[in-house]
Amino acid sequence: MTLLSVRDLATELSDGERWLRAVDGVSLDIRAGETFCLVGESGSGKSVTALSVMGLLPHGRHRHPSGEVRLHDRDGEVSLLGAGESVLTGVRGRRIGMIFQEPMTSLNPVMTIGEQLDEALRLHEPGLDAAARAERVRAALEEVRIPDAASRVREYPHRLSGGQRQRVMIAMALICEPHLLIADEPTTALDVTVQAEILRLMRELQQRRGMGMLFITHDFGVVARIADTVGVMRQGRLVECGPVAEVLRRPQHEYTRSLIAALPERLPRAERPPAGEQPLLEVRDLAVHFPVRRGLLRRVVDHVRAVDGVSLDVHPGEVVALVGESGCGKTTLGRALLRLIEPTAGQIALEGRDITRLSAEALRPLRRRMQVVFQDPGSSLNPRLPIATTLIEPMRVHGVGRDDDERLARAAALLERVEMPPDSLWRYPHEFSGGQRQRLAIARALVLEPRFVVCDEITSALDVSVQAGILKLLRRLVDEEGLGMLFITHNMGVVEYLSDRMAVMRAGRLVETGRTAEVLARPRHDYTRALLAAVPRLDAQAA
Amino acid sequence: MSERAAVPARPSRPWSAEVAGALLRRTSARLGLAWIGLLALVAAFAPFIANSHPLYMVLDGEARFPAFAHLDAADVSWLAGLVLAFVAWRSRGPAFLRFAGWFAATALVAVLAWATVSPPPLVIYEQYREWEAAGRAERVVRAPIPYSAKDYLRDHGDTGMEPPLAGRDGRTHWFGTEDNGADVASRMIHAARIALGIGFIATGIALVIGTIIGGLMGYFSGVVDMIGMRLVEIFEAIPTLFLLLTFVAFFGRSVYMMMVIIGITSWSGYARYVRAEFLRLREQDFVQAAVASGLPLTSILFRHMLPNGVAPLLVAASFGVASAILAETTLSFLGLGVVDDPSWGQLLNQAVQSSTFNWWLAVFPGGAIFLTVFAYNLVGEALRDAVDPHTQRAGRAG
Repeated sequence: MTLLSVRDLATELSDGERWLRAVDGVSLDIRAGETFCLVGESGSGKSVTALSVMGLLPHGRHRHPSGEVRLHDRDGEVSLLGAGESVLTGVRGRRIGMIFQEPMTSLNPVMTIGEQLDEALRLHEPGLDAAARAERVRAALEEVRIPDAASRVREYPHRLSGGQRQRVMIAMALICEPHLLIADEPTTALDVTVQAEILRLMRELQQRRGMGMLFITHDFGVVARIADTVGVMRQGRLVECGPVAEVLRRPQHEYTRSLIAALPERLPRAERPPAGEQPLLEVRDLAVHFPVRRGLLRRVVDHVRAVDGVSLDVHPGEVVALVGESGCGKTTLGRALLRLIEPTAGQIALEGRDITRLSAEALRPLRRRMQVVFQDPGSSLNPRLPIATTLIEPMRVHGVGRDDDERLARAAALLERVEMPPDSLWRYPHEFSGGQRQRLAIARALVLEPRFVVCDEITSALDVSVQAGILKLLRRLVDEEGLGMLFITHNMGVVEYLSDRMAVMRAGRLVETGRTAEVLARPRHDYTRALLAAVPRLDAQAA
Repeated sequence: MSERAAVPARPSRPWSAEVAGALLRRTSARLGLAWIGLLALVAAFAPFIANSHPLYMVLDGEARFPAFAHLDAADVSWLAGLVLAFVAWRSRGPAFLRFAGWFAATALVAVLAWATVSPPPLVIYEQYREWEAAGRAERVVRAPIPYSAKDYLRDHGDTGMEPPLAGRDGRTHWFGTEDNGADVASRMIHAARIALGIGFIATGIALVIGTIIGGLMGYFSGVVDMIGMRLVEIFEAIPTLFLLLTFVAFFGRSVYMMMVIIGITSWSGYARYVRAEFLRLREQDFVQAAVASGLPLTSILFRHMLPNGVAPLLVAASFGVASAILAETTLSFLGLGVVDDPSWGQLLNQAVQSSTFNWWLAVFPGGAIFLTVFAYNLVGEALRDAVDPHTQRAGRAG
């Protein structure tokens, strides 16, 4: 039975002046008990498709030139596109549930989770009395395996972890027993181990209830884990649609093929020159503790051990991947290596010279030997300065190049190395896309000719095809210039493609270090094993 | 989407130009700026608009330019400031540099003018009218309003308050006369200088102090922040008006002292804004990257952080100018402002002082105060919208 049928859906959004077509002739069917995955890169229109179905697009700023959306469930048949608010209110929550991406902001912070679940019930099941509703709420929380549900009902959202909040969101979406669940990237903000649990839970609940599910994601690994049918979107169009095994194993459309080929674990790896013998960076027993102050006198009562006794070497011409889940201290470690955060104890030596206790003044000339590229393309470049100024200023400070003309020529040459057009020099950061900004941030890091570079999750905000380009660029730079690189990431595919050695971090400590191929093939530590098992992979389905 | 497609064809514009463009698209901002611009013109050309000294006359067969001969240092500085502002507006280069250049050049001219320009110390306004009556002067070219701000018309016996256009002896007072017999229109025109000057200089002082202290608090946080915030709290606890009253009582009345006091008591708000912005910016990746590149502290603070945190400051400053003008008017209204020199608040005071209600002394200066404060608030409001990315690209979903 076809639960949701979308025919030739087109959605146009207004930016105040023009109408931009976000969804362009999408047709799809979801049957009861089926999981339909919409996959695509950012801006491909997959979220807008879901919002169009729910009628949640901003009022007066969208229109549908064509299309039909019909929901056909046990309660009858209803046409959703352009339906009145009263019809939609009856459908939303009651017949279609929705889960959003960001678990941190999807719950109201001033209401207890019990009240929020209760509100949905009160609206859609007016016949139930308070005791019956309380029972339903408790049952819903137990169903999503919130431990000790009866007492958790009175908790506020900030007391729950990200994974638990997403469980509460699922409970809220399912409490009125909808026939269709729309999930918009529900696991993207979560760690891999948590993601694996949530995916398992969603799959299980769906099968038990025979719901249809529209699941939006950008991750082919997740698709392989959860989907029955998959639709690939590009620029508002559904370019390929079919059973998951078919599409993933034998993609018909060229775009699908290029997307799958761009997955980092699928990228071809060239022969790599051997890494240098002499370590570039030596870290011994490094610790960074943040004091926890309490009480009237702000006394230090405890320390947060963000980094706790880490020892690590990086050789020239080598990429060391630092892997771990959020909050494990990997970013703090990266910043401490560059002395952006003061280490509490331990020793950092760059090219044999101890830099742990150097004064800011003595450190300044050494700054050009080690550089950093950050995660967020939105804030990695100064929005008020043209690219030329951003690149030239550090050269001027460190006396690289004789005059500004020479420095400008060097900057232009560097832009060519990171595969950016030379006229980028006179543009401002907001004119570039995320991937281009990360290339410019790499150029800014390389402008001082460093020996050691820290890359902190620099591709995690980017689409796979863009990520593939950046990863290839990084590997080429490391191989050709003999840089040492510490690459911080949580993406195992990236680790597999890029790194020579890897270190797994957990709660401020390195639990396992070794050559990448060996660790991935034969993990010794339990945590590494759990981490690797949780990673959604395309091969899991294909096998 | 694809990485290559995003570079637009049009040339880049710096952020300041974007904001200026967005500001000028708003009618309210244009109206406000037009009124402020008009005030600035009137203030700079005041000696040529309202002056008892004729612009040109032939006395006993000898050509004279009394209005020019009586220009004092303040007149010269205002004129130079306006001309230099025009030059700065037409020249090329970063907005900040042009503004700094204008400021430095104007300050230099002002200092030079104070040292060199010396108008005749004795001013006799009546003599021109006497010469004319005696037939000694020919071809007299007068300013549109032929009365100086301090010309109390001593040569006429019947001086005192006079409603607009109640002309006696063939005199025309468009806005009437005040207590001492001086022309209200002339006094209002010359008072525009105090209104503009006090707003800009007091706010300028507050901005400089607030930015430096707030910036240091935000960047260093910790102990510096704690000391700075206590300082902010101390200054916020001082009521500006009472401090001004005390200083006026002790040191006499001076418009410059008023500017300084309004300035040094109103920086705390700006310091809070800058601190909050810097606390946010310090964690931004491009600031961390600047630190990691070993850039000097001054560059990090003023080149990488300040231009990114200046938006709320601009908005607050335009409202600050309005409140500084109001503070001066309040003092003058209370009779504690400048003596003898014209001020809108002082005229307003005279409206209620005598036993009759002199409407022309309430309506015209009151209207000028209202329009000026309103203009600054319009500009501030439009600036807030112009620098706010949410109102710029509202509702872009997807």
